Amino acid sequence: MKKITKEDIEKVDPSKKDLGKNWIKVGMSTCGVAAGADEVYAALIDEAKKRNIEIDIRKCGCQGACSVEPLVEVNVEGLPKVLYGRVTKDVAVTILERHVRNKKLLHDYIFEIN
Amino acid sequence: MEKKIIYIRDTDSAQKERINDYFTLFSNELRDANLLEQVQLVKVADIGLYEKGVAVKIIPENIVYSGIKTTDVKEIVEETIRGGKIIKDLLCGKKSKQLRAVLKNCGYIDPESLEDYIAAGGYKALVKVLTEMKPEAVVEELKKSGLRGRGGAGYPTWMKWNFARGMNSPEKYVICNGDEGDPGAYMDRSVLEGDPHSVLEGMIIAGYTIGSTKGYFYIRAEYPLAVERVQKAIDQATSAGLLGNNILGSNFNFELEIRLGAGAFVCGEETSLIASIEGKRGTPHPRPPYPSVKGLWGKPTIINNVETLANIPLLIAGGGTKFASVGTEKSKGTKVFALTGKVKNSGLVEVPMGITLREIVYDIGGGIINNRDIKAIQTGGPSGGVIPQEFLDTPVDYENLGKLGSIMGSGGMIAIDDTDCLVDLAKFYLEFCVDESCGKCAPCRLGGYQLLQILKKISGGNGELEDLNRLKKISYAMQKASLCGLGQSASNPVFSTIRYFEEEYKRHIVDKKCPAGKCKALISFKVISEKCKKCGLCMKNCPANAITGSREAGYIVDSQKCIKCGVCFDVCKFKAVMKE
Repeated sequence: MKKITKEDIEKVDPSKKDLGKNWIKVGMSTCGVAAGADEVYAALIDEAKKRNIEIDIRKCGCQGACSVEPLVEVNVEGLPKVLYGRVTKDVAVTILERHVRNKKLLHDYIFEIN
Repeated sequence: MEKKIIYIRDTDSAQKERINDYFTLFSNELRDANLLEQVQLVKVADIGLYEKGVAVKIIPENIVYSGIKTTDVKEIVEETIRGGKIIKDLLCGKKSKQLRAVLKNCGYIDPESLEDYIAAGGYKALVKVLTEMKPEAVVEELKKSGLRGRGGAGYPTWMKWNFARGMNSPEKYVICNGDEGDPGAYMDRSVLEGDPHSVLEGMIIAGYTIGSTKGYFYIRAEYPLAVERVQKAIDQATSAGLLGNNILGSNFNFELEIRLGAGAFVCGEETSLIASIEGKRGTPHPRPPYPSVKGLWGKPTIINNVETLANIPLLIAGGGTKFASVGTEKSKGTKVFALTGKVKNSGLVEVPMGITLREIVYDIGGGIINNRDIKAIQTGGPSGGVIPQEFLDTPVDYENLGKLGSIMGSGGMIAIDDTDCLVDLAKFYLEFCVDESCGKCAPCRLGGYQLLQILKKISGGNGELEDLNRLKKISYAMQKASLCGLGQSASNPVFSTIRYFEEEYKRHIVDKKCPAGKCKALISFKVISEKCKKCGLCMKNCPANAITGSREAGYIVDSQKCIKCGVCFDVCKFKAVMKE
C-alpha cells in the first residue's frame, strides 16, 4: 500500500464525504453475522449481478439495533436513506427489485432508530 | 409538487389491526386528493416513538405527527401534504436522545478499509498531535476534557497518562484492554469490529504522549471477528506508514501487537492482564505499585479500555473544552451502553452522561416487553448492582450510580421486570464470579462460594432469617479484604438486592414463596377446575407425565412428579393453570 502523508489526511473534509448516490450497506459485525448478514450480503451481490442491477454493495459495522439484525441500509437517488431490519435473503431480493429498481420502499421492514 | 414519502406506524403495541385501517384511510384520502402519483405511503416497523398512538413521518420535510385520530387524516393530507403547512396540534417535538460520538463511524464506514476511516476524518487527531502538540499539551487537553476511564472505575484518564509520562524509563507500554467479559455487555466488541482504526489512533496518540514505542491489544479470544479486523487494521496502518518508524514523517516510532485472552474473566483486571501478556498465570497482585509506575515487564504502562481509547481521537480533534461541554459536572462526554434484558429494543445505545435511566429504557429502548412493569435495572454486570424503579429518574453518571450502590461498569444495562426474581439474579451473578474467581485470595475464593451456598439454600426453600445477616457480613468482608476488583465487587449484586429488595428475600425465607415464580423449589402448578375447558393440552405437553385426568373428569397436576418446567402454564389458552 502507498505510504500516507500528513497532507493526504489534512486535505480530507469529512463533511463533504460522498459515498456516491446509489449504495447498499450491510451490517457485518458479530451480531449481524449471527443473524445471517453474510447470507444477505452474498445474496445481494449474486442477485444484483443476475438481475443486472448496478449498485455499490458494501460491508459496515453494527449500527446498534441488534434486536432487528441483519440491518441493511439503502441509499438510492431520489429516495431518503432507509434502514431495513430483519432482512432475509428473500427480503434482500425484494429490496433490489422494488426499492433499487422500481424506487418503491418496502412495507414493514423500515426501522427509524433514534 | 415534489415527491413525498409518508411513513406510518402504530406506536401503541396493544393495537394490532388498527394500522391497516389507517393505511386504508390515508390511501383513500390521497386518492381523493389525486396525490397517489406523488406520494408513497409506507408502513414502517419502527418510527422511533413508543406508546404515542398512530404516528406518521413526512419526508423530505421530516415532520412527525403523533396521536393521530381518524378524523385528522383528511386534514393532514390537505394541509401538510398538499398545502405544505404544519399542523401544530399534532406535531411531535421529540428529539433523538442518543448522541453518537464513539459510535459515529460504527455502521457507517467499512471497518476493513483504511480509506473509509480517513475519508470520515480519521487520523486527523494524530496529525494534529504529531505536528503541533507536545505530550504535555495532550495531557492538558485530556485534563480539560474531564475524560474518565470507560472500563468501570472511572479513573481520570489524564492522571493515568500523566503518571506514565513523568516516569523516567526508556521502555514504556500502552495496553488496550479489550477483555470484555461482563455477561450481556458487548460495547467494546462493537467498536473493535465496527471502527478498529479509531482505537488504533487512540493508542498511537497514547504512545506519543507517554513516550512509548510499543503497544498491545489485549482482546479476548471469544471475539474472533474483532481480532481479525484489528489485525487487518494494524497491517493496513503499518503499510501506510501510520505505524512503524517515523510515523507521518515525524521522529516518533510506534508498533502494535495483538495478544489473545484465553477466556478468564479476571484477566480484564489490569494486574492480571499484565501477568497474562507476560506469559504468566492470569492472577492479580496488590496495587500499588500501579501499572503506570511499574507495569508490563516492570516498566511504566498505561492500560485503557477500548471505549476510552476510541474517545481520544474525537477529543483531540475537537478539543477538550468541546468534549467537556457534554455530560454532567464530574462525568463528561458520552457513554455506550448495551441495553438488554426485558426491553423491547435491545441493542447498543450511546447517550450523553446525565440522561436518566427512564429515558434510556422508555424513549430509546421502547419500554418493557409486553408492557409489563419494570422492577429494576441492573448496571455494571457481575460487579454492579440493581437500581429499583423508584430511582429511574436518576441522571446516569459515575457518582450517582455509585451512590445507589451500583456502578457504571463497562456499560451493561439489563432491564428487569416483575417476572424476574432478584434472589435468582444475585445467584446467577454469584455463580459467574465463583466460576471466574482465580482462587488466589481467600475472601473471594471462600466468600463467594459461601454466598452462593446461602443463596441456593434460600431459593431452595431452606432459608432462615439469620441468612440475611450472614450474606451481609460475608459481602462486607469480601469488599474490604479481596485482592482485586473482581472479589471486591463480586458481592455487589447480593448487597444491592438485599438493600432494595429485602422483602423479596423475606418472602422466600419466611413464606417460602417466590413472587416472580422463578425459584423452582418454591413454586407449584395447579389446574383451576372452574377455568379449565378440559382440552387436555397441558397433559399432552407435560414432559414428565405429571398431569393425569381425562376430557370428562378434568386434569390434575401430581406435584411429586412435576419437574416445574412451566410448559403447562405456557400452553394453557384459558389461563387455567396456576403458578404460585
